[in-house]
Amino acid sequence: MTKLTIPKVVFSWDKGVVLFLVLSIFIGSYASEYFATASNLSFVIASIAEIAIIAIAMAYLIISGEIDLSVASIMALTSASIGYAFQEGVPFEIAVVLGLLVGLLAGLFNGVLVTIFGLPSLAVTIATLALFRGLCWVILENKPVNQLPREWIDLGNKNIPGTFFPWATILVVLFAGIAWFVLHHTKLGRWVFAIGTNPVASRFSGIPVNRVKLGLFVFTGFMSAVAGVIYTLRFASASPDGGAGYELSVIAAVLFGGVAIAGGVGTMWGVLAAVLSLGVIKSGLQLAGFSANALLVVSGGLLLISVILPRVTEFVRIQRSKASTIKRTQQKEKERVQK
Amino acid sequence: MSILRRATRFRELPVLLGLVVVYLGTGFLNPIFFSVSILNDIFFGVAIVATLAIAQTFVIVMRHIDLSVGSVVGLTSFLIGDLSSRGFSLLAVLFAALLVGATVGAVNGFLVGYLGLPSLVVTLATLYIVRGIFNEVGKGQTIVESMVPKELNWLGLNRLFGISYLFVIVVVLMLIAGVLMQRTRAARDLYAIGSNPSAAGLVGIPVKLRVLAAFTATGAISGLAGAVMLARFNSSSTQSGLGLELLVVAACVVGGVSIAGGTGSVFGAVTGAVLLQTILMAIGALGIPQFWQLAVNGSLIIAAIGLDRYLSTRLRSTNIMGASS
Repeated sequence: MTKLTIPKVVFSWDKGVVLFLVLSIFIGSYASEYFATASNLSFVIASIAEIAIIAIAMAYLIISGEIDLSVASIMALTSASIGYAFQEGVPFEIAVVLGLLVGLLAGLFNGVLVTIFGLPSLAVTIATLALFRGLCWVILENKPVNQLPREWIDLGNKNIPGTFFPWATILVVLFAGIAWFVLHHTKLGRWVFAIGTNPVASRFSGIPVNRVKLGLFVFTGFMSAVAGVIYTLRFASASPDGGAGYELSVIAAVLFGGVAIAGGVGTMWGVLAAVLSLGVIKSGLQLAGFSANALLVVSGGLLLISVILPRVTEFVRIQRSKASTIKRTQQKEKERVQK
Repeated sequence: MSILRRATRFRELPVLLGLVVVYLGTGFLNPIFFSVSILNDIFFGVAIVATLAIAQTFVIVMRHIDLSVGSVVGLTSFLIGDLSSRGFSLLAVLFAALLVGATVGAVNGFLVGYLGLPSLVVTLATLYIVRGIFNEVGKGQTIVESMVPKELNWLGLNRLFGISYLFVIVVVLMLIAGVLMQRTRAARDLYAIGSNPSAAGLVGIPVKLRVLAAFTATGAISGLAGAVMLARFNSSSTQSGLGLELLVVAACVVGGVSIAGGTGSVFGAVTGAVLLQTILMAIGALGIPQFWQLAVNGSLIIAAIGLDRYLSTRLRSTNIMGASS
């Protein structure tokens, strides 16, 4: 077989996002002298911690070809459960464990509906978005719980001593590290990509597709619960309407990070770079005097670019390969004529 | 074919039955529920979601989704109030709303149809962009009652044969869209696209053009729904329409417009919206704390998806075993 000499497109979207992150940090620090201050960086990191934690799990889920729109509601349900349990006299530590358990169960509920009953995850999680949020209102009614233990709230609002990293950074780094390793360096990770690329072929090649998907929904529920704990501590309050609309921010970040909505494609560091860039841009825009509206337009624009650009590079690649094929046949034709 | 068999093939039947059961059941427990005013509240309250659900049906039957409608309807409700308070005539203002909606829809449709981008991502992006532009244009202003065109105000307050004009609009729109969806070739193409996108292309359906047209229609109707929203609330702010998209998709799904594409009707979508609204009212009438409303809605959507799944697999099996029937 003759070797094709089509130049490969070296650019990949996730590398672009990392570059974009570096660029936005530079522009941010150029735009405002306050950007690179410890307090601002600490604020930026704290403001994206919850989204980062959920995005880690969401990346797995979208790569496997599913989606979960109920994550923000699970986050709020965890927060509400913690608040309710604590209000009823349960020690805070145990309330947190209960909250995590609630998130796990919520994820299991989604997973069972999708994998065992075979319902479409988009529709199911729109339903559980309402259901879980509804349960928040049921258990807390319209009375947020604000009297949480001081030392726990400090954990949610103070930095690791001597640094500008909030305590939540540890969780983000830890989970991101594990998630990165599992996704890119283990059999399970390869399975997730395989399932997202072709679920039927995956099943025939012996991958327990439904069990993996069920596991991913439970994982997403758990991570949303972890985000719920962080959220509760950061705002020192458990309220039924907390984090509304976060699901779209998470999904936007994951897709911007180079995960294909059709499944089968994505990297963990692309996603993390995307979450960070969105946090950096938000802060940069605010410091440069832009309104929050600019951020909405920018996130939407980035999201669009993240799907359009791969399409364009694909188009260019196809045109190039077409052109080179034509060139080769022309050359062959010429040689034939010369003979 | 027996009537019974034909009835089970009628996909809107479960949601219609559900509606009857909820209505009669609640009325049985609390006779006040049968009063005309409750009925009016249901029709009045459901108008916006029902209008948007009709529009959304076009894209969902194609196995696509349009999440940008909440932002569009909010923006146009604001624009209608803002422009008419600056002295533009109602017709001009409505045309502007239509144009804005159709433009956003056409952008969605172009990106989805011609560039082949996933509709979920594209419309999520336009949801953000339109909301951002809306906030910037709105500058935190609020449209108050005095800025609402008098005609819209009148529509919101008056009734035709005891039924709110807003719901009359919904019914007229439903009839027009319903007949079009049943009878015209272009609309039948949408079902074909939703059933099997690649096969639709192979049999010669201009898929790209149809996707563009359907998204544009969805956008245009959603734009006009801004007028319904303004008539309903008599006010508009930058918070208007926030999160409405999921409620609209929920209404469609409850009404048997399958998210997997290829099935469903605008009649189903409207019935789904009415059912959700009726349950909302029933919760109040039964003395259940309002806090249960969302949780009940969520459970209902799950039940609807499950039922839809059950029915569609059963229907398919009767089709295959068609000879025995």
